[in-house]
Amino acid sequence: MTTRNRSHPTTRGAQSPSSEVLCLDIVAAVRPDQEGDALIRELQRSRGRVRRLWPLPARLPEDTDVIVAELVPELPQCLPWVPGQPMAALIAVMAALQPPDLKLLRNCAPHAVLHRPFTANTVLTSLALARAQFLYERRLRGRIDKLDETLRAFRRVERAKNILMQTRKIDEEEAYQFMRRQAMKRRISISAIAAAIVDSCEVLG
Amino acid sequence: MRWCRGLVSEPWRVGVLFSQSGVMAVIEETQLRATLLAIDEINTAGGVNGREIVPVIYDPGSETGAFALCAKRLMIEDEVSTIFGCYTSSSRKAVLPVVERLNGLLWYPTLYEGFEFSSNVIYTGASPNQNSVALCSYLVENYGTRFFFVGSDYVYPRESNRVMRDLLQTQGGEVVGETYLDLRAKRTDFVPVMRQIKNAGANVIFSTVVGDSTIYLYQSYAEAGLNPAVTPIASLTTTESEVRAMGFDVGAGQITAASYFQSVPNERNTAFVARYQRRHGDDEPTNMCAEAAYFQVHIFANALSRTNSIDTDQIRPAVLGSDFDAPQGRVSVSAANGHTNLWTRIGRANRRGQFDIVQESPTLVWADPYLVGSGRVSLSV
Repeated sequence: MTTRNRSHPTTRGAQSPSSEVLCLDIVAAVRPDQEGDALIRELQRSRGRVRRLWPLPARLPEDTDVIVAELVPELPQCLPWVPGQPMAALIAVMAALQPPDLKLLRNCAPHAVLHRPFTANTVLTSLALARAQFLYERRLRGRIDKLDETLRAFRRVERAKNILMQTRKIDEEEAYQFMRRQAMKRRISISAIAAAIVDSCEVLG
Repeated sequence: MRWCRGLVSEPWRVGVLFSQSGVMAVIEETQLRATLLAIDEINTAGGVNGREIVPVIYDPGSETGAFALCAKRLMIEDEVSTIFGCYTSSSRKAVLPVVERLNGLLWYPTLYEGFEFSSNVIYTGASPNQNSVALCSYLVENYGTRFFFVGSDYVYPRESNRVMRDLLQTQGGEVVGETYLDLRAKRTDFVPVMRQIKNAGANVIFSTVVGDSTIYLYQSYAEAGLNPAVTPIASLTTTESEVRAMGFDVGAGQITAASYFQSVPNERNTAFVARYQRRHGDDEPTNMCAEAAYFQVHIFANALSRTNSIDTDQIRPAVLGSDFDAPQGRVSVSAANGHTNLWTRIGRANRRGQFDIVQESPTLVWADPYLVGSGRVSLSV
């Protein structure tokens, strides 16, 4: 089914949501009116496990994939994270007729918004967009963490290379090769080998 | 874009986040006082473009989690975008995602371990190339090559020691011991450390102990009968304020590397010290962290007077590349990395609780937070 969708995205994509939005754990903090009920039904159609919460709890649960919440003034305080470190995708639910509170929207930093009245299409697209944005942000954050660690590792490896060059009277390429061989033999990273070399050099003096 | 700009008479509101309670209060309160002194000076001189600077102050109580929550509260409930604050690296790292997501600007007036860059932070304390590099050479030349590392158990000491270890190795030195103690370590916790130091035959104790336990480290050292002329404690974080808290005689002879000491001889500093003491008491020393907290507010105000907008996207470009006559000397903010180009000095504490400056850089030292060009010169030898 998914293969066919990929080959005919324009004609078939709309009918069957991609696996990204299927079977998610969803927390829905929406008003218990008719529209709210309709929203829950749409969310359930994505085969998600939907937990409905109202009134808005002082702290929304964090063990979920998606939070769908009314954009009310107290929402920033109820989110279980500080801005910049979301633990789930956030969809802000807004009224159709009132002018939007842009500052409040900015403070909540949602990944997508949903306007009343809801339609099947807008619910599904918001869900897909929010989930994709959240995952993308998380990948970027992970990449930054990794880059930071790589920088440190780079310094370690360079240090170890210099130690090897001096103590074994070998050239740069041979020093790198030595570390690569040792890393493969022991099934650990070059960075870990470099750290071991630096540490042992210290012990030996 | 201009819809959010207030009336001309409306004040410029800024956030201030320093601990006034808990284990970090001794040093962070000096940063708070220096921040408020600078704000006072600016307001007394007529504010920025006729508008007063009004600080919104919270006390995160030396708790990392509280820093993140206070930053959130400042930006969301108090609607400020500029925050002056943070001493420990863990508190900076807690505030970082908040200012990055909501596009605020954190002014961080504390030396740290480097290896960071954020478009939402201006760093006004020293990076390792501005203190560790010179300190390491000085110690090896004057005391010997056997270093014992003792630090508080959190991110800054471990990262800082990693850098120091690299530097020391390039100088042919070695780490003969390494130990980390809880931030809430008691005086008795340092007794076995002193024994280890003696047994290891160290020439230098390199300390990254911060907070209240700093005092216990130096006091235990004095009690253990170690001699600072032979085996000094060298630190990047022990300032005039900690020396005052531990006792002048306890601190005497110990070494600290910093961009600023109260004893820096120039008119700008004399005036700064006089105003600081008039406001907070004659026996209140200034220190490197307070000085950075002080001059960064002035750099902010100068930029603000040019942009007339406190919006991060407006003010940050005006800050980058700007310079200022700080108490330590003329400093400038690097356009490349948002860190500040500072002076490097090495001080030895005297019996009056002040530091005698025993070495000084001939010029400003460029901030190199990733140590791209620093501390490698001797690597290729």
